[in-house]
Amino acid sequence: MRGSDIKKNHDKLPQNRLKTGVAYMESLEGKLLDENIEKNIKCLKTIFEKCSDIIFREFVFAQNEQIKLALIYTDGLADKGQVSDQIMRALALEVPMAVPGRVITKAQALEFIKERGLCIHQIKETNKVGEVVNAILSGDTVLLVDGHDTAIINGARGWEARAITDPEAEPTVRGPRESFVESLRVNTSLLRRKIKNPNLKIESFQVGRLSTTDVAIAYLEGVANPAIIKEVKTRIERIKIDAILETGYIEELIEDEPWSPFPTVNHTEKPDRVAAMLLEGRIAIFVDGTPFVLTVPSLMVEFLHASEDYYERFIFTSAVRIVRYLAAFASLVLPSLYIAIVSYHHELLPTALLLSVAAQREKVPYPAFFEVFLMELVFEVLREAGIRLPRPIGQAISIVGALVLGDSAVRAGFVAEATIIVVAFTGISSFTFHYSASISFRLLRFFLMILSGTLGIFGLTIGISAICIHLCGLRSFGVPYLSPVVPTAYSDLKDVVIRAPWWAMVANPRSIPGHNKKRESFGMKPMPPENGE
Amino acid sequence: MLEKEIIDDMQAVFLMVNLVIPTVLLGVPAVTIGFAKRDAWISALLATAAGIFIGRLISSIIEKFPGKTIFEVMEELLGRLFGKIAGALFAWWILHTCSGIAREYGEFLEVAIMPDTPLIIFSVAAIIVSAYAVKSGFEVMARFNILFVLVIILFLLISALSYANARFDRMLPMFETRPQDVLKGALVPLAWMGEIVVFSVFSPALKANCSIRKINDVSVLLIGAFFLVGIMGVLLVFGAEHASAMMYPVYNQVRIISLANFLERLDYLIFMSWAIGGIIKIGIFYFALVIGISWLFGISDYRPIVFPVGIVIASLSMFIHEGVGDELRFLMGTFPFYSIIIFEVGIPLLLWLASIIKGRGHGA
Repeated sequence: MRGSDIKKNHDKLPQNRLKTGVAYMESLEGKLLDENIEKNIKCLKTIFEKCSDIIFREFVFAQNEQIKLALIYTDGLADKGQVSDQIMRALALEVPMAVPGRVITKAQALEFIKERGLCIHQIKETNKVGEVVNAILSGDTVLLVDGHDTAIINGARGWEARAITDPEAEPTVRGPRESFVESLRVNTSLLRRKIKNPNLKIESFQVGRLSTTDVAIAYLEGVANPAIIKEVKTRIERIKIDAILETGYIEELIEDEPWSPFPTVNHTEKPDRVAAMLLEGRIAIFVDGTPFVLTVPSLMVEFLHASEDYYERFIFTSAVRIVRYLAAFASLVLPSLYIAIVSYHHELLPTALLLSVAAQREKVPYPAFFEVFLMELVFEVLREAGIRLPRPIGQAISIVGALVLGDSAVRAGFVAEATIIVVAFTGISSFTFHYSASISFRLLRFFLMILSGTLGIFGLTIGISAICIHLCGLRSFGVPYLSPVVPTAYSDLKDVVIRAPWWAMVANPRSIPGHNKKRESFGMKPMPPENGE
Repeated sequence: MLEKEIIDDMQAVFLMVNLVIPTVLLGVPAVTIGFAKRDAWISALLATAAGIFIGRLISSIIEKFPGKTIFEVMEELLGRLFGKIAGALFAWWILHTCSGIAREYGEFLEVAIMPDTPLIIFSVAAIIVSAYAVKSGFEVMARFNILFVLVIILFLLISALSYANARFDRMLPMFETRPQDVLKGALVPLAWMGEIVVFSVFSPALKANCSIRKINDVSVLLIGAFFLVGIMGVLLVFGAEHASAMMYPVYNQVRIISLANFLERLDYLIFMSWAIGGIIKIGIFYFALVIGISWLFGISDYRPIVFPVGIVIASLSMFIHEGVGDELRFLMGTFPFYSIIIFEVGIPLLLWLASIIKGRGHGA
């Protein structure tokens, strides 16, 4: 069928069918359950027409066969064992054993079932059709009792989920190995296990007009700034979109500077990292269905730090951090610097190196700018292919990409060896820090390459200045992006390029405006007894 | 005009420092040494002392009118008509100086690194980046400037390296130059130090409880110290004779550093820091000019006029001087008197007298 035909037929559909979207869910609001169970079942069956995964189980109450009951749940979302054992078995068989001889009337049935009949830890009552539908779709089991306009929602959820595994995007050598999974409750429980404190608040929202996705924000009351918490809530409540499938949707809808190449919202899949963020006064945003959790407000330096920095000893960490900063800088400017030097400023190279580079470049047909640009593109293609391609073929790509392409390109005389070295090192450097920051660095690398290809080191300097000015103006939820460097918070500088030992980091970072000023007592520096007592 | 843009004391001090030193270090040491020979360091000290006087003059006026730019102070003290005339003159001086800096910026880069590139490319590139900074706001400029302070520290380290080439007997004999020549040598750097008067445009952005006088004092002292380091380095490495014949002696001083067969060609660092420092210096003047013009014509938001003003600065920078010789004659001969007498001391002194006569100031 051609496109126009589809559209024509679509126009012919009856209006009430078209409403089966956002408007349909809204139309259920205000609709109440009836006392007659048959009517209720009919109503729900109309709503769940053609939903083969919704199960309607009708049976009678064991104490009084006049009372009809109905269980409605979603196959695959409700825990079948619990539904059969704790609900069905209890109501259809075991209730008479509990109260032998007593006859329960229709009017008493609901109270009795609630108090004696159900062996479910969490139940809720409602008389709204909308809430019933929502509960069924969320995995709860709904029990309808004849003669009552109230339904009992049983929290017997249980579905197949991925096991908690190692973090794939942020591997560590030392530190917790668990990572978040796709289930929101599992994720919040992982966080709760890190911070056992009633001040850890987890507030829920539902976002998505069609998907009604569960979204939760977590923060430490008394630590996080109430103004920022309020701002996060307002920004999330503002979202009117059909579906939220990943935290990325929320990130793009709540960030401060949508046009900036830099990420102003951090994300992580490690519970320990989220816990550390919350302890410093940040706020986490969980979304059901994704292992990535957002944290705000976020600073530039966060993206250059790893959670492991706080687990290894500080001397080693500081050294590693310096290396990481250098690598980040290299991943931004190295190709442009190479282009500038080779095309304009040969005098910057020592004579021996200059001769060798000149000899390599003699056989190369293209200007340095074009050559590096091309090789950077090749590298980006390889990287992208490495992520997308099915696992078993991964080896092939690395062999073809790295060995054949690189080696042959040089031998064929398309590119100079030095170019390959520069591009390869730049590529590796960009994997030393947080992924989303390295994406922005990679983008800006091309911008800088164009500038230095046209204006040499002057162009590079101008480009870096423009990037710095842009960074100085960025904010994340009202917090300057470059703090604590500028505006300068001196006490925070011990956790930027170096990391001070834990006993010296008494104050919480001041650049995140929170309420918990001190995170430890003074005098925590270990003092072993002298003379080997 | 600068609502909600608040900068702290340190940011203010370093903005003032970078408002002056990029150009002062570039061309001025040669002139000062040309007049004062090996006693140029005395000129530097004299200029600093006089600079403190200018700084205090400005702060004594500005502190009486908290939350007002110098333009608004002019209107308040001199009346509407004369205030606008004085303000227009002041804005002209800022425009003139800003174009001059843009010209100087391009000229140095052309001479030092890229002789084949047309001059206008450098000026326009710098003005575009400055325009971006101006549009982003004063806080952003202050923060960017702090980042650049790291580059100044680098400069100090580089200067330290060049002491390997220094010979201290080049300073001898001391106190040989005639006093009037030493004074002449002090005049040029003083004209540059007096440029801190531009900063009085931004006084509303300062924190409410900070002491402008202290900020001015510290800034002038820092500028003086940097200038002294520059002059001493040049004198010790080249001696007065050679240094006064050079156009950019500090650049040459770094250029000849060669340590351990490895630390060479450090002039690129000077060149890069000049590229950034020039952007900041142009940016501050540019910002002041934009605020002045929007005050002059009663525009409530300065942002729409940023790019038009940038075009004016860029084009003026192209025909302001006929060539390097003309430019040097202006900067060394005319500029000091023109700037100091009218704008850096003249107008502030007038305002100060007016405030004494009127005997008041808001909140003072």
